[in-house]
Amino acid sequence: MTSLLLAFLLVLLAPLFLANWRTSLAGLAGQGVLLAAMNYRLHGAELTAANLLSVVDLAVLRGLVAPVVLYRVLQDRNAPDRNDVLPPNMLAWAAAIGVVLLAFRVASDLVPLDSDARMLTAVCGSGVLLGFLVLATQVGVFSQIIGVLRLENAVALFELGLPERSGDAAGFLGLALGQALVYLATIALCRYYLHEAPVVAIADPAPEFDDD
Amino acid sequence: MTELLRPGRPRVLAAAGVVGLAAALSLGFVAPAALGPYFQIDATARLFLALIHMVFLGIAYNVWTRLPGSEVAVEDRSFTTAWQVGLCFAFLAAADLSILANHFVGGWVALEATSLAAAPLIVRPGAPSSTQASWRYFLFSSVSLSLVLLGFLCIARGMTGQGLGDLFIAPFSAEPLPREAPGSWATLGLGLIVLGYGAKLGLAPLYMWLPETYQEAPAAVTSMLAAIQFNCTLVGLIRVLQVYRVGHEAMLSGELVGLGLASLALATASIIATTNLRRLLAYASILHGGIIAIGLGIGAGAGFGVLLYAVSNAFIKAMLFLTAGKIEAQYGTQSTTAIRGVIKGLPYSGLFLMAGTFALLGFPPFGSFVGELLILSGLVRGGYLLTFASVGFLVTVSFVATGRTVFPMIWGEQDASHPGGAPPMPTLAPQTFVSFVPKLLFLVALVVLGLHLPDPVNALFRQVAVTLGDP
Repeated sequence: MTSLLLAFLLVLLAPLFLANWRTSLAGLAGQGVLLAAMNYRLHGAELTAANLLSVVDLAVLRGLVAPVVLYRVLQDRNAPDRNDVLPPNMLAWAAAIGVVLLAFRVASDLVPLDSDARMLTAVCGSGVLLGFLVLATQVGVFSQIIGVLRLENAVALFELGLPERSGDAAGFLGLALGQALVYLATIALCRYYLHEAPVVAIADPAPEFDDD
Repeated sequence: MTELLRPGRPRVLAAAGVVGLAAALSLGFVAPAALGPYFQIDATARLFLALIHMVFLGIAYNVWTRLPGSEVAVEDRSFTTAWQVGLCFAFLAAADLSILANHFVGGWVALEATSLAAAPLIVRPGAPSSTQASWRYFLFSSVSLSLVLLGFLCIARGMTGQGLGDLFIAPFSAEPLPREAPGSWATLGLGLIVLGYGAKLGLAPLYMWLPETYQEAPAAVTSMLAAIQFNCTLVGLIRVLQVYRVGHEAMLSGELVGLGLASLALATASIIATTNLRRLLAYASILHGGIIAIGLGIGAGAGFGVLLYAVSNAFIKAMLFLTAGKIEAQYGTQSTTAIRGVIKGLPYSGLFLMAGTFALLGFPPFGSFVGELLILSGLVRGGYLLTFASVGFLVTVSFVATGRTVFPMIWGEQDASHPGGAPPMPTLAPQTFVSFVPKLLFLVALVVLGLHLPDPVNALFRQVAVTLGDP
């Protein structure tokens, strides 16, 4: 589990230092695949409706549909290759490393025992804080979409770490379905906004929507 | 009478509004009950379902009587296509579910669905600035609701650590109720939930989406966001307080009062500075959200006032944003310095703008006056004297600033020296009696709320107020 969490942290961090939108989308795909792998590790491969739904949500929607949909829009619009998810300067990079260290420090306070649970909390905290860092430092539509989706993936990771849900299976399935549909609608709207934004507004730094 | 026979999609909306309101009111005759494991009818659900359906019917009726008349300006074009009507139904259904939800994550899913349905409705064809507002709304909604979900997950994590198992996924009215989620996880979770719901209500510091969205969206959509979605979010926050106030009183109170005061200060400064009618109303919404947050924060003694204030504000905002849309469509501008003499050019709209502004400022005999008075007296009784003084000062300043801006619009003379020349007086088709009935009913409701609550309504308010800590 620790190796998967470290890999997740790597795909969170690497695209921040590589200023290319393809890398950002590859990072999103990697997050989805790793989330599915962690779900398999934590909850097994039993062929239940809940597990199938988790695979669809994590591997298909987050790991495949979201990156492919956004990729096609950017490809169709001939978006310039370069896209800074973080401002390319030492201050922003230091802040990125700093929030990861902060997340690990907070996790050690929240989870006293050194365990997978502490690591999961730290990586999830890193994902949330890095998502906010991207949202706070960038104004381009694409970068902000990446920030939102990173945030949602971090929340999904935290949810994975909760114990197996017992009780009303149908109700749980309904909730999981609702969450998956919300994510799907989010992707559809992201596609719409990315499609509507002028090409110059896709990459940072640039205005968002132009009145011209 | 011919307006009643107008064909088209808005008629479907109005019909749905009638059916929805009838269904919501009929719940008043049903005993509190669970609708399966994830939904319930309680006093809170009854009150807010009736409220949002009254407002929705008024908005739908307003759209119906507006279309397809000549007065439909691009500034106010909404619900003209089938997909817009479909999204409107999705929004309303999700709003109903969010209020009926008996489960935190279930309610969260429904609230998120209202945002996803509303975001495309903000876009006005041919107006890129509205696309940007829609994008901003979507962005802030996604972030704020992610914070809320993360907060619920933190509480669940804390319960797991305390051997409380999977109580998190149990409906929150189940017995035994996990009223005291212990530990740092619960504190962190509740902090995130209040911050996230606060952002969705438009409270500082994550308020930036609200003025832009309320300014750019079609008037009917703005009314839906300000009067319906606001109250769905408020119900979500109220549910959290109903369950977790015990054991976390100081933390919740401090955060809510802090967010409320920051919102009041920010809204007051912005009201002074703005020269845009819809933005002014948007900042007034932030101010009202701040007062509601403060009322929820102090809890005991202010619950009834908070409810009265919230319900009154739903009617005020619906009435004022619909009126602002009409004025904007007729004058072709939202500038508060350019619009003059509304009472002459658009007598009905002028009257509603005047009455709505008095209600907005908390004048008697409107419900907002009584609600605000009860919240302020709750502050004094609770010993929050510094907060009381701050609220009193900020509300007074915003009161003067709003009056100074709006009253010349109503009674002022056309100013030929205005940059760009004086906007022409309205020339489009005049309003008929039928078209302003919804706003008139909103006004009547505001007066009833301020003067005398009928016994069944009063009893319903009391039942909900008790869950907020009122004796």
